[in-house]
Amino acid sequence: MSEEKISIYRADREIFRSAFDDGLVDILLSSFVLMWAVAPWLSESLGDFWSSAIFLPIWGLVFIAVALVRKYWIRPRAGVVKFGVARKKKLTAFTWIMLILNVLFLVLGMLAFFNPVVSPWTRMLPLAVMVLIASSLAGYFLDVPRFFVYGLLFAGGFFLGEWLYQNYGFAHHGYPVVFGILTVVIFLVGIYKLITFIKENPLLDEEQLQWEAKNG
Amino acid sequence: MADTSEESIEIGHLPEVDPLIHAPSRLKVMTYLYVVDSIDFVFLKRVTGMSWGNLSTHLTKLEEAGYISISKSFQEKKPNTMIQLTDQGRQAFRDYKDEMQEVLGNLPE
Repeated sequence: MSEEKISIYRADREIFRSAFDDGLVDILLSSFVLMWAVAPWLSESLGDFWSSAIFLPIWGLVFIAVALVRKYWIRPRAGVVKFGVARKKKLTAFTWIMLILNVLFLVLGMLAFFNPVVSPWTRMLPLAVMVLIASSLAGYFLDVPRFFVYGLLFAGGFFLGEWLYQNYGFAHHGYPVVFGILTVVIFLVGIYKLITFIKENPLLDEEQLQWEAKNG
Repeated sequence: MADTSEESIEIGHLPEVDPLIHAPSRLKVMTYLYVVDSIDFVFLKRVTGMSWGNLSTHLTKLEEAGYISISKSFQEKKPNTMIQLTDQGRQAFRDYKDEMQEVLGNLPE
């Protein structure tokens, strides 16, 4: 980084990306995709509602685990940054847009799945479009382009799963296989980025801490 | 020799850039500080790629000029040093940017 050219735009992007690019968001995201892989199986024993609802406490636990890792592992290595007004406004806008999109996502998903008239292919279209919009916005606002790729894979997963189901008889519209693989891929990317981050940013030793207390 | 004198006359018309910011390492530090509200020593060291001593020396110079403010605290028994651009430092960086644009904008092709 020290060899790079100096630019205000680049500095802004560099700081923002380095604050989020530790792999933890990927790990959190993989827990969301996991629901699409496992819920269809669970629905046989738990029913449609509880097979999805059971993931709320699981997401809660993953969220707490991620927050703890960030607090005790990442922050001492990464340091702390408070963003400027422009970035804060962008993050606030992103939070609101994602909240609205998620509500729309939920309503459209329920309408599509509980409407027996439309074909399976048509049912997936609003879901796929919403996933693509949400992931594109996340990639843009958080400055992490791979989220767009995740969105493409996720949206395409609905159609690939249905194709596998109709042509090869894969169970549960192919979701366990397609989204299971996607969960593993996103999780591994997250783990790889987390390990790389920890390797590249070792913890400060006692001597450095004392030095910072005195001179930093 | 005539060319040299012409050059010196031209250079004499150039606006003076702030030498404190103009040094590459301090320019890098000021640029990072300009885009954030505040940043701690560890994060700044990580993004600039500087050594502890080097960064500390540059920060001291910027603090002495009134361009940055440094506040120390302890978070969970560990020292934490937050650095922030002062209003004076932010204005100095804007002036530096304008001066450099003027200098480079006036260069012949």
